[in-house]
Amino acid sequence: MDQLATLLLGFPPASGFASFEDYHSQAKSHNQTLDKLAVTSNFRQSAAQLLKHVDPAVNSMSHLALLNTAINTGSAPLPDLLAKVSVFLCSFDPQQIRYSGKALSSLLEWALSGSSLPASVAVDVVTTALLRLDSTGSVLTSHHVALAKLALDTDNITPALPLLDKNIVSYPGIKSTQDSRPLCSPDLPPAAYMTIETGLTKSLTSTDVLQYDLIRGLCYIQLKDWGKALDALERVVTYPARDNHSCSKIMVEAHNKWLLVGLLRTGKTPELPPTTAPGAQKAFATLGKPYHALAKAFEDGSAATLRAEFETIGPSFFSEENNLSLVHLVLQHFQRWQILNLRHVYTAVSLEQIRQRTHSAITAAPLATEEEVEQLLRQMMEDGMLRGVVERPADRPAHLRFLDDDDASSTDGGGLSEAEFARRMQAAAERLRELAPLVRATSDRLGGSREYIKYLVEQQKRELDGRGRAGTMDDVTPFMSQIEDEDLMTGVVPGY
Amino acid sequence: MDQNLQAFFTMVENQDGVIVRDPPKLDLEIYIQNYKGRTRFDRLFLIGRSSVPLCVEALKAAIAEAKRGKDTHRYREAVELLRVAAPSEPEATYDQAWLEAQEASNKAETNRLLTELKGYKNNLIKESIRMGHEDLGKHMESIGDLNAAAEAYSKMRPDISTPKQFLDVGKHLVRVSIQRQEWGMVATHVGKLQYVEEDKTVEGYMKVSYGIALLGQEKYKDAASSFLAADPAIPASSYNELASPSDVAVYGGLLALASMDRDELQSSVLDNSRFRTFLEQAPHIRRAVTQFVSGRYSACISILESYRPDYLLDLYLQKHIPAIYSQIRSKCIVQYLIPFSCVSLETMEKAFGRPGQSIEDELADMIQLGALQARIDSINKLVTTRTSNPRSQMQAAALKAAENYERQALDRLRRIGLAAADLELKGGKKMGGFAAQHDFMVEETLG
Repeated sequence: MDQLATLLLGFPPASGFASFEDYHSQAKSHNQTLDKLAVTSNFRQSAAQLLKHVDPAVNSMSHLALLNTAINTGSAPLPDLLAKVSVFLCSFDPQQIRYSGKALSSLLEWALSGSSLPASVAVDVVTTALLRLDSTGSVLTSHHVALAKLALDTDNITPALPLLDKNIVSYPGIKSTQDSRPLCSPDLPPAAYMTIETGLTKSLTSTDVLQYDLIRGLCYIQLKDWGKALDALERVVTYPARDNHSCSKIMVEAHNKWLLVGLLRTGKTPELPPTTAPGAQKAFATLGKPYHALAKAFEDGSAATLRAEFETIGPSFFSEENNLSLVHLVLQHFQRWQILNLRHVYTAVSLEQIRQRTHSAITAAPLATEEEVEQLLRQMMEDGMLRGVVERPADRPAHLRFLDDDDASSTDGGGLSEAEFARRMQAAAERLRELAPLVRATSDRLGGSREYIKYLVEQQKRELDGRGRAGTMDDVTPFMSQIEDEDLMTGVVPGY
Repeated sequence: MDQNLQAFFTMVENQDGVIVRDPPKLDLEIYIQNYKGRTRFDRLFLIGRSSVPLCVEALKAAIAEAKRGKDTHRYREAVELLRVAAPSEPEATYDQAWLEAQEASNKAETNRLLTELKGYKNNLIKESIRMGHEDLGKHMESIGDLNAAAEAYSKMRPDISTPKQFLDVGKHLVRVSIQRQEWGMVATHVGKLQYVEEDKTVEGYMKVSYGIALLGQEKYKDAASSFLAADPAIPASSYNELASPSDVAVYGGLLALASMDRDELQSSVLDNSRFRTFLEQAPHIRRAVTQFVSGRYSACISILESYRPDYLLDLYLQKHIPAIYSQIRSKCIVQYLIPFSCVSLETMEKAFGRPGQSIEDELADMIQLGALQARIDSINKLVTTRTSNPRSQMQAAALKAAENYERQALDRLRRIGLAAADLELKGGKKMGGFAAQHDFMVEETLG
């Protein structure tokens, strides 16, 4: 057992590393040692005991191997083991663990299976673990998908939010370009190590990717965060297709929800982004007809027409599509938007006028009393939809006074203060700056791709030929200008 | 009101007809003298159907007019109405003898013309064929068969040999199309006339008919320009089968008021020396325009209001008067508010108030439609006009641009990522549009 302990504690060595290459080779050999050990009976028996002596934050690879063995053999008491797993997932060394991707994946899968860890804990610790692995959160893994599903199914969305909020731009399965840097190199972009080859993720299909964003959308709907829900669903709706006719069922489903969420968020039918695939556009137009009809009634109809539209399509239809509560919410919000639109007409309006001018789409009738109107207004203010105050002066009727938004419509000079504007612009610039590494990684990857190099060589050849003939520099078109013309949206054409 | 009249107008109302209860300023006899041709009956008939004070008088005149012509259908129509409105009048009973004689002679005439035409066709003399068609067309028009008339007139086209004949065909077709209220056709036929510079008088005819067609199509601004370009030197007799000079002044002036701004009104209506001659025929329109230009909007509106019954009794204007008036009115309100940043509703009420209708609701509707840039404080009864604020607009635009840039950058990165990972959607082999996928439905958990 002592011998085992020495082996396990052998990485990282006390003497440190000469270089990243040194780290790389040692870590690889240590991983192989662990793989060999894992099958020995001695190791299997003593794994539970050894856990105590191996520090999860320092000897992460060894600790992980022990945990997996302990889980498989069931040799440790479960509560103890669960605590150990949680501690490990929150404290492992992210650099070291890149070498035991497969082992980490199987631990994460076990945690997310919901068999032993309570879901709320599982969501929390896996979120932490994934963010420790990749703090930019820009790479989608198979664990993301499983995590999002678990979070939605068990209603543990809030702990998963730090991960769900991240913008995903890379996907596993990118044909790895030979990155010369070792796996442990700290400036390695996440997309280079969060790969199928390292075992940190399994391969994904387009269905998985679509599902992940749809589930994200549903999570935000659940939290009533319409802005984020709209964004997430839009990612599904605009999912790229290689041809002009394919569309996925998930996309249609997302589109219908997207339409409803758009109504809730902006009070208008959202417009399909121009990047939507043509096949999808067609499918949306035909399969989303009832939703479009509803949206049209919402936009330019009265409460009665909206209600009638809903009745004609029928609640059972929406309930079959799993959208009934969302539709109900849309009906509920109709009056709110009517009230909100009054702000374009009035600076102040009496509650009685609001009562008369707006109708509830649930009952297709005005609210019964001023009190109900006021209650609705209060709710809207609490939800942050409405900026205004209800005033009750003694000599005049109770009324709502709209407060100026900070948009261009304000009358009294308005606008933001210079400092506030500068702060916001700075924040925007900061967010863009954060994108820089992602852009660099993508650019490096594209720049190193076989297709591009081929193109470059051809280009240079042509350039040389041209120069040979004309003998001038005039007709040298810099290839960058031609790259500009190439539509990046369609990606690299295979077999270019 | 007479009980019969009451019943008559209930009937008109049920047929969605326009009813004008106030007496108009016009004198029926003088009014109708301005016109000739079939439009006389149309105008009298319309007045009879719409105006309460002039109903019986106009219908009687219409019957007399119909009897002077050959169109028995019109005669029946007019008598039918008078029978409801005033059964005791002698004209309210059919003149059976006249009817039968006229119908018989119409039939005989039709047959005669058709046979003649056949003969001409056999003889292959172009000029005769053209004239045969023309005679047939005229006859058909006079007995009220406008379809056949239009057909006969257009068959004249192949046999035209002089520009004069070309003009005649055009005018016939324009006239028939106007009677059939086919405004699009009118425009086409007028368009064809444009290329002939033979006869000055045709230009007046063209401008007037084109204006009427555009009015019918609710293109008020274009219609106004067409009327404003009419030449007063051309004798009214050349176009009085369509409209009188005072009609031209009214149409042109009203439509200009509805569609032009103050500078345009000044330059193209008041300073327009040609149109000024027309305006002399309708001094009140001139006054209304002057008031509008000099900023006395309520005076302008009250002049127009006092003439509303007259205009509602006009053949071409009737349908459009509510729209034209409300456009003028909302233009007045917009213009009125321009110099102010804040106006009390009370002042607005004084300037534009109408009994039984609150100015506040009207303003609210205008704002909602985007016609007016203002907001109402319905508690302190104030209207504040909205001034654009370039600074905050710029700020909003800048922030929006930054946000868009970020979104687009992310979206592109994502697409590149998807393409690189070969995850784009590919068509299913057999399922047509759908990539083969297992059903994926997420249970709805919301609320």
